Amino acid sequence: MSLDLDSVRFAYRRHRVLEDVSLSVEEGRFCALLGPNGSGKSTLAKIVARVLRPESGSVSFGGRDLLAAPRREHARVVAYVPQSGEAPFDQSVRDAVLLGRTPHIGLRPSRLDREVVDRAIDQLGLTDLRDRQLSQLSGGQAQRVLIARALAQEPKVLLLDEPTSALDLRYQIETLQIVRAVTRTQGVTALIAIHDLNHAAHFCDQAVLLHGGRIVADGPPSRAYDPQVLSSVYGLDVRVNSGEGGVVEVRPSVLEPTPVGANGTDGP
Amino acid sequence: MTDAPTTTAPVPPREREAAPRPRLRDRGSVRRVVLGAGAFVSVLAVAWCVTVGTAGAGLSDVWHAVRLSVFGGVLADEFAQTYAIITNLRLPRALLAFAAGAALSVAGVVMQGLLRNPLVSPFTLGVSPAAAFGASLAILLTGGSAGSASWLVIASALVTALAVSALVLGLASAKAMSTATLLLLGIALTQLFEAMTSALQFVADENTLQAIVRWTFGSVNDASWSDVRLVGATALLALPLLWYFAKDLNAVAFAGDDAARSLGVNVTALRVGLIIVSVVLASVVVSFCGVIGFVGLVGPHIARLVIGADHRYLLPFSFLTGGLLLLVADTVGRTVLAPSVIPVGIVVAFIGAPVFINLILTRKAAR
Repeated sequence: MSLDLDSVRFAYRRHRVLEDVSLSVEEGRFCALLGPNGSGKSTLAKIVARVLRPESGSVSFGGRDLLAAPRREHARVVAYVPQSGEAPFDQSVRDAVLLGRTPHIGLRPSRLDREVVDRAIDQLGLTDLRDRQLSQLSGGQAQRVLIARALAQEPKVLLLDEPTSALDLRYQIETLQIVRAVTRTQGVTALIAIHDLNHAAHFCDQAVLLHGGRIVADGPPSRAYDPQVLSSVYGLDVRVNSGEGGVVEVRPSVLEPTPVGANGTDGP
Repeated sequence: MTDAPTTTAPVPPREREAAPRPRLRDRGSVRRVVLGAGAFVSVLAVAWCVTVGTAGAGLSDVWHAVRLSVFGGVLADEFAQTYAIITNLRLPRALLAFAAGAALSVAGVVMQGLLRNPLVSPFTLGVSPAAAFGASLAILLTGGSAGSASWLVIASALVTALAVSALVLGLASAKAMSTATLLLLGIALTQLFEAMTSALQFVADENTLQAIVRWTFGSVNDASWSDVRLVGATALLALPLLWYFAKDLNAVAFAGDDAARSLGVNVTALRVGLIIVSVVLASVVVSFCGVIGFVGLVGPHIARLVIGADHRYLLPFSFLTGGLLLLVADTVGRTVLAPSVIPVGIVVAFIGAPVFINLILTRKAAR
């Protein structure tokens, strides 16, 4: 099975954001959506989450059309972790995670729902915080609550919209570790919109680079990271070094220890 | 690719799971007990407020009168006057106050949840003043003959209120308005509709004027059983309907529109449907009792402090707190300066305004 996007197009009013995007992520893989601000990576995640509706194109998982399914059924397959925002009303961690059961429960949550919620809470190491109010949590803890909420949905596909951009380094790494563990242990397919190319290279199986609403590179990070493509996409001269264990590392040329790049491409 | 990085999130040991688990069920049942206690207190409060007044009547008299009117029986001559006061004047008045407060409070909870904003209510969004204008216009056009709430008055209040809420909420979602902007818009609309209602008063004759003034400060004076039936039925029908969507309302209120959509909620349909229900609630109350401000703000606020923000509990509990608030306010209004009666809208404003100001000032801290 795989998550397949075929010729997805999207525009906000007249402003075209996505132009004919097609990609495929194997089940249980962790895929990074990369690209500069405005490249359309968040939009793409929101389309798969059915927050936004594409003009045309299809999104399917295991051959099943995700855009045509009833919302509730779609929400049992796909979970979405938004950027953590402020909530106007306070609630306990457990109630917040219970929201993830929304597509599953009828009028009232059953025992099974509560068990799933408790498992998700345990899985994210929030066990001791479960009766706390959200307002008492740190940014990293609040982010983990959102991921726990998504896992309580028991999804096959997990989407994350720049979950790490507001977090400090430790929580960024922790979040990525958790998501990767979920893909490995539960076979969940994860798609993450993320800025940090090096984090993506380290944690993700697949890297999709978007530029101006089109895919310009797609593949394992070691192959998808091409210094010339990256330099032109970001408008900044970068080098790609291969680090230990075959993990590639991207570094702007201006930060290189040697002032003159050996075969640096011409920046704009 | 390196080996799969190990997660740092600690996997809790098995034995730790057993101990704190039962607490969840406890919290749910605590909230259910609070809800039951609230319902019990409400019934007692209605009975008690009926006893308050210049003509003495005890709780046993109230019980006796209710039993007589429900099950029938022989009405003793010496009890006839008390019976009439209780069943014709005080009981409908108390019940109308409770029903109106409950309806406004529930409407407030729904609007606050949908707009993710604890400062909105039918009153602060300008919906109630608009309904009052609609009612006044209908009274003027029918020459004051409509007097108390006729279907035309109710319909007119409803149409104006729906139009205004469509405008406010449409603008709010289209422009992604901040709290402050939304409230300013509400203030502007309130001013506009109050001015328009004043203009109607200016051209109205003596009789019509009196009928219109009734709407400008809310009151439950001259409550009749037919008023009670209609407002009560509206509130009692709306509550289970809204409660059915409590889960979806939770998703929107806590997680926001985008996340709610991804949780399988049809946000647009939910928003339109629930706003219509809450505007109907507010307009029906306005067309019977006039503009009673702040109940839709203070009722939910008190309820949220006691039972938390989960709408499955908050909706029924705010029904009770709103009802109790208006009931107590009305009882205070007719006792402090007895025999004159202060309209309940004025009394509630004295309680509501400080709470509203406090809400605004502490908003940052609450987040």
